[in-house]
Amino acid sequence: MAVLNTILRALLCGTLGLMALLRGACGAEAPTEYQVKAVFVYNFSHFVEWPPQGFTAPNAPFIIGILGNDPFGVRLDEAVHGEQIDQHPLLVRRFRSIGEVGDCQILYIDRSESAQLQQILAALDHRSTLTVSELDGSSERGVMIQFTTENNRIRLRINVESARAAGLTISSKLLRPAEIVGTRIRN
Amino acid sequence: MMWRGIGIVASALLLVCTGFAPAKADDTPSIGDLKRLTVEDLMNVEVTSVTRHPERLIEAASAIQVITQEDIRRSGATSIPEALRLADNLQVAQKNAHDWAISARGFNTALGNKLLVMIDGRTVYTPLYSGVFWDVQDYLLEDIDRIEVISGPGGTLWGANAVNGVINIITKSAADSQGLYAEAGGGSEPHELAGARYGGSLDGDTHFRVYGKYFDRGDEVLANGDPESDSWRQGRAGFRIDSGVTAQDKLTLQGDYYDGHEHVQTGGDADASGDNLLGRWTRILSNDSDLTLQSYIDQTHLALPIGPLTVNGVQFSPPGNLYDDLTTYDADFQHRFKVGSRNRIVWGLGFRRTHDAVIDGPGLGFSPAVLDQNLYSAFVQDEFALRKNLSFTAGSKLEHNAYTGFEYEPNARLSWILSSSQAVWAAVSRAVRTPSRFDHDLSEGSPPYPVFLKGGSNFTSESVIAYELGYRMQLNSKATASVSSFYNRYNDVRSVSLTPVTVFPVYFANDLQGDTYGLEFSGNYQVSDAWSLHAGYTLLQEHLRVKPGGYDVNNALFETADPEHQFSVRSSLNLPWRAELDAGLRWVDTLHTDTGAIPATVPSYFELNARLAWHASEQLELSLAGQNLLHNHHPEYGPPDPARAEIQRSVYGKLAWRF
Repeated sequence: MAVLNTILRALLCGTLGLMALLRGACGAEAPTEYQVKAVFVYNFSHFVEWPPQGFTAPNAPFIIGILGNDPFGVRLDEAVHGEQIDQHPLLVRRFRSIGEVGDCQILYIDRSESAQLQQILAALDHRSTLTVSELDGSSERGVMIQFTTENNRIRLRINVESARAAGLTISSKLLRPAEIVGTRIRN
Repeated sequence: MMWRGIGIVASALLLVCTGFAPAKADDTPSIGDLKRLTVEDLMNVEVTSVTRHPERLIEAASAIQVITQEDIRRSGATSIPEALRLADNLQVAQKNAHDWAISARGFNTALGNKLLVMIDGRTVYTPLYSGVFWDVQDYLLEDIDRIEVISGPGGTLWGANAVNGVINIITKSAADSQGLYAEAGGGSEPHELAGARYGGSLDGDTHFRVYGKYFDRGDEVLANGDPESDSWRQGRAGFRIDSGVTAQDKLTLQGDYYDGHEHVQTGGDADASGDNLLGRWTRILSNDSDLTLQSYIDQTHLALPIGPLTVNGVQFSPPGNLYDDLTTYDADFQHRFKVGSRNRIVWGLGFRRTHDAVIDGPGLGFSPAVLDQNLYSAFVQDEFALRKNLSFTAGSKLEHNAYTGFEYEPNARLSWILSSSQAVWAAVSRAVRTPSRFDHDLSEGSPPYPVFLKGGSNFTSESVIAYELGYRMQLNSKATASVSSFYNRYNDVRSVSLTPVTVFPVYFANDLQGDTYGLEFSGNYQVSDAWSLHAGYTLLQEHLRVKPGGYDVNNALFETADPEHQFSVRSSLNLPWRAELDAGLRWVDTLHTDTGAIPATVPSYFELNARLAWHASEQLELSLAGQNLLHNHHPEYGPPDPARAEIQRSVYGKLAWRF
């Protein structure tokens, strides 16, 4: 049945005239918000420079953490599968609370952590962790990279100030298309 | 005529392409495909399910509301004034096909003058009467990023005229408006509309866009259903270039040109055209410090038919035209920096020179006919962190204008962030409205014709002291609410005095004072990913009176025309098959539009706007929008004489095509 379904769907979606009408049915195959965001998070590992002392060993894993609910599903795992930065293999870890977060190069802070954002950022102070979130206004509150959406496209707001404070250097390739913000709300 | 042709060609093109567009969209990229894209390309990938979240404004220490691009698109608005109906903290009334009365916290008089309006940092109110010619403030709405509407004084940062509110219309950066966009449509109102933009990049760091827009609108009607003779059309074009010269430097250069023709009730056509050119340089000095230098030239040209001046059936001056050519040169400098860990300071300097040349009509003129004026300003503001979540902001502007000399506009604000989801703020501010040419130089009946009303040579600035208290909360991930309340004390508000013995000409003086108070509520509720609701309400009480020992022909009734209550409810629903259904219901209380101290009203009314849209493909959006659906026609402004325009129900369809 599953195979038949796929064939039917492929047939329908391939038909020129019907395509527009069937967008809903075929939508599952269009990139989703979190597919694109997963690739962004993966890209951050290339466009940000961590201080060498950020790793315990030359081949220690490069850890991308998800704090709180996981909006990515398997997409982030797919994006980093088999990839490495220098000698560091990329790994995705999931944390339920900030207390569980150990060594972590990138930390995605989910919307579910909205109420704890201040404590989370305080706990990460002076650690070389790139913080990423889609919480509204989070970049002004010290999160280094905030996802926003505009016309169904993903946009970045980058707080260069807080990245620099953590010893991270963000490539101009990332900064150029992003909106640069400063910390406006002190925690 | 040419535009009509282009519109039809564009519509035909859009229809042809509907059939073909899907062919390009059948490749659905995998994670692997996406990983091969550059960051810029990744940003251009349109994603399917984006949940809408209201901007987090919890921490803002003023009564600010933000109208987003998405709000504008889904409202079906075709112009900036229509889009401003989305701000709960404004009073918006359409006077006729091309004129609007828009105000915050009252004083929405026939020539409203207490609101400062800016488009990308360029002030667009006219020094002719300190108000805004709303008909000529427009843009390709698709390229507006957001409109920030702040009710309450903003004099410290923005200067004279930001008495009751500030509207900042902010267009997208060129980098955010890349590719081709085209729209075309029409219906009962506007008869036809067309717009297009193309954005590209010159190199990796420099982006540009060019745009054009045209519309043609028909007559509104009189109470008896006859045409009002106020049809109009307008075309505009412009460009914007944004460049990141270095990692620290950003340059913006933008300009616009417009030309429009309007039938006016007094007979004949008004012509309004203008152009502007603005440059802005921002240098980021450090993480807490930046410099901005901005300069612009703005020219407006107005040819306005003036009717005959007739009193009790006797014609004192014949019909004719008033011409006004205004050139504004403006330069602003702003510097932001941090002192220690607690003080954030922003200061700035400004210079503006206006050259205004009027050619009087027989019934209306200005004296002197040509006037050059300089405005100098300086401001400083410090935001001081008293505690982790408590900050105090104080600052003042000092301005020197040609009519009244020095003016000061201080404010003090306290912002207390109770938690990540609750904040309280309070403010005390002073703001002024400096005299306009209307107040000072007007001559209704231009000599040698008899003069009945003239400007006051001693006219001084109107001032307000405003006390504000606001509360914002995020109830949960789905609901937000904000309440702002205010108490304003006004002094030296415009009045009309009599000339001793001869009575005429009557002239403007500052013999009114008074107070207003009210509150503004705004709430959002995200029912589900696909459905959101919004509600807004304003309460406004105005008590203007003649000062002890003073006099006003209009008995303190002319400077206000505002609803005591108004509320609105909007629903925004995503339907299956990529369709959207939006509806907005508003109720506006009775307006007291008193002229010459004769009580008169606009009756309260309900009105409904709605829009149904279908995204036929990634590129093509078809929509049908209806405005003012509940009545054949209804008045929104003006005293109830037979010449009062009434706004008709209107429906239009639109195709929008994005690449």
